[in-house]
Amino acid sequence: MERGGFSFDNCVRNAMLESAGYQPPKARKTGTTICGVIFEGGVVLGADTRATSGNVVFEKNCEKIHYIAPNIYCCGAGTAADTENTTGLIASQLELHRLSTGRESRVITSLTMLKQMLFKYQGHVSAALVLGGVDLKGPHLYTVYPHGSSDSLPYVTMGSGSLAAMAVFEANYKDNLTEEEAKLLVKQAISAGIFNDLGSGGNVNLCVIKKGKTEVIKGYAQENPRKYRRPAGYSFPTGTTSVLESKFQRPVSEIAVVTEVVSESVSMET
Amino acid sequence: MELGFLDRPHGAGGVRVTGAALVDELGYSLGCDRMHPTGAPVLTAPPGDAPASFLTEAFRGQDDHALKFLHGTTTLAFVFQGGVVVAVDSRASMGQYIGSGSVRKIIEINPYLLGTMAGGAADCSFWERDLGRRCRLYELRNKERISVAAASKLLANTVYGYKGMGLSMGTMITGWDKTGPNLFYVDNDGTRLKGHKFSVGSGSTYAYGVLDQGYHWDLTVEDALELGRRSIFHATHRDAASGGFINVYHVKEDGWVNISHEDSGMTKYYEYKAQSAAVDSTAMES
Amino acid sequence: MDPLLRPGHNAPHLPAAMGPGYADVFDRLSRQGGRVETTGTNALPTFDAHAGAKQASFQPYQNNGGSVVAVAGKDFCVVASDTRFGLGFAVPTRMISRNLVLNDKVVLATAGMQADTCTLHKVLRIRLDMYRQNHGKDMSLGAVSQLLSNTLYYKRFFPYYTFNVLGGVDENGEGFCYGYDAIGSHEKVKVVCTGSSQSLIQPVLDNQVDGKQMYDGQPVAELSLEQTVELVKDCFSSAGERDIYTVGLDGRGQPPLYVKILKLAFVLTSHPLRSKYTRSHFIQGQSPAVRDSQTTTDTYFT
Repeated sequence: MERGGFSFDNCVRNAMLESAGYQPPKARKTGTTICGVIFEGGVVLGADTRATSGNVVFEKNCEKIHYIAPNIYCCGAGTAADTENTTGLIASQLELHRLSTGRESRVITSLTMLKQMLFKYQGHVSAALVLGGVDLKGPHLYTVYPHGSSDSLPYVTMGSGSLAAMAVFEANYKDNLTEEEAKLLVKQAISAGIFNDLGSGGNVNLCVIKKGKTEVIKGYAQENPRKYRRPAGYSFPTGTTSVLESKFQRPVSEIAVVTEVVSESVSMET
Repeated sequence: MELGFLDRPHGAGGVRVTGAALVDELGYSLGCDRMHPTGAPVLTAPPGDAPASFLTEAFRGQDDHALKFLHGTTTLAFVFQGGVVVAVDSRASMGQYIGSGSVRKIIEINPYLLGTMAGGAADCSFWERDLGRRCRLYELRNKERISVAAASKLLANTVYGYKGMGLSMGTMITGWDKTGPNLFYVDNDGTRLKGHKFSVGSGSTYAYGVLDQGYHWDLTVEDALELGRRSIFHATHRDAASGGFINVYHVKEDGWVNISHEDSGMTKYYEYKAQSAAVDSTAMES
Repeated sequence: MDPLLRPGHNAPHLPAAMGPGYADVFDRLSRQGGRVETTGTNALPTFDAHAGAKQASFQPYQNNGGSVVAVAGKDFCVVASDTRFGLGFAVPTRMISRNLVLNDKVVLATAGMQADTCTLHKVLRIRLDMYRQNHGKDMSLGAVSQLLSNTLYYKRFFPYYTFNVLGGVDENGEGFCYGYDAIGSHEKVKVVCTGSSQSLIQPVLDNQVDGKQMYDGQPVAELSLEQTVELVKDCFSSAGERDIYTVGLDGRGQPPLYVKILKLAFVLTSHPLRSKYTRSHFIQGQSPAVRDSQTTTDTYFT
């Protein structure tokens, strides 16, 4: 029988396979601390930079503050692939929208699109977001949950380190923060996540959005620089790997070897 | 915690103390809380009524943290005119991780008895060490060495008592007694088989392939040792859970001799490769 | 079955302690990411392979992470562990000791579950004290290694969730270590690592100490005590970068690593929670190398 809507048959199947002992492939998660705060005339978003897969730190300096529009950015927690693709999809839809309307995107538009998409997938798209931006109505800050619900608050946190970060906000937030105060507060909140949540770590990235100006600051604070290196280092003399066999073969005549000559000035700018 | 050993009486030699303190026939405190009438230590069962699945249940839903024990092996032993050849690899794996590349899987129970290790490393080494202790007690009581048949039966009876509780052990007990060279296979189900040729472990099918085509009773000692070595080599070549070194022992009338300890992956591979084309050489070229 | 073989059989336990069942329903809920209101266990599409009566399963284990390393040299042994106590994604404390000084020549380091570690250490401490009282001497490294193996194996069916390395110097003054699995399988080696960073650290130690993966013709230079300590510290720093349950060096300069160096009869310990040296007489008669290494470790702990 023809029926409308989505089919969740595979979810039942997957649960059955899992209970029978089959392990699903592991997705890279951003066990994460992300947060945002509204200040006088703008918003500051913050994120840590650790991506994990199980116990292993997959990436020490990843970017969790995603572009939505020139005046809107979005921090993502959850499965890395889900947050990247969800925000990317909405970003491109908004781009088209701007091209056809000729107007700056509104934060509420991106919020609605995000939550409608997430609701459609009933929580199976694992993206927990902190969405912030400034439009003609002023600064806005939202959180979006994986199932599609959302909050609008002056200060928000998300991810596995959200409790640590929220503790900092609850203790130190006040209305009408200046930009510098807001940046410091967000930095302290993310640091709390980095230190007290094992899923978070690395550096503090910030994004400051004001009317007409957006600034992404990578490595605003570096909380975990490596403190020790073996003074002797590691050196492996030539011959450490033995040559077991060697075989030389003439290049086949049909294959042409093309060498690209690049002028020095060009190759230096990357 | 079991604190029974704290009130262990001094000088309890010759007397098995029943109750809290557990002391064996020599007055040596065993530290575990009970002893079976056969003289083997008794292990505490896990709480509940499904001992074999206890750990699976205890780690339900947290696969990353589940306890993994050392496993994985190729071992073999065969009897021929010159005694018994025992050959094994040396790799121990814990899931994906190679726990060790230098495990001694031939356990020297005493100077004329050998046991092999396949399955759980702790299960084999603990119970075969315990077997050594009980074989020594037998000698002291009876003023003669225990037969291989009796020794292997002690082990089989012990593990049979733990049937269904999750022990993992596939071992060969071999030695030379009054009746000549002997070889027994004993596993965690309590199976005990007398035989001339066994191979145990994840790589055993490969080893059997080489062993069966090269074996006959009248092999010279040198050829027999090489057959054992070669069988293990081919098993380590094809079975990912086997590898490391090839250890070979020879059981003779006056006890066992440790024959060789060679690197399977490097030394033997190139040695055999130089000798013949039997080893797959395409792998090296690609 | 013979009740003698089943000592735990009649022991009282919580009525709902055993068997598969409801417990993982809550796991599944939380795995869905929080904000779900449910009216019962059927609110989510789930499939239960275990039909019939359901009970919460008995979960006696937790993983508190941590890594332990032992490296032996000609006449010394270095035993090191990190100090992070992890629980899920939380860090209840950054400063626990995983090490147990068993006597002047033997040190144990244990990773895994902290409650089991405590119990295991308690049992071993008592047994070593008894041995000391009965025999008027300390247990040798070899004897301790077998005692630990047996102690672990006696709980074969309800194991201590612990991963041990034992390090020390033997009767001849030569350094050795022993690596264990959770139920007592052990091996005498020169270098070993267990715990959450095992697969990160062990290959490096194999390469740097044992010369593994290096051309056979090249002799491996034996590491001095100072070089060994440097290598171990570097291993922990590196592991801390990639393993969330092992800490390299804390951003706030907390002392995360706890190194013990055994050299002949001397044990140097440096742990901020204890006195700097466990026993005063260890300091007497130190060789210059030990005194230097003491400087090294102390610097590291500030």
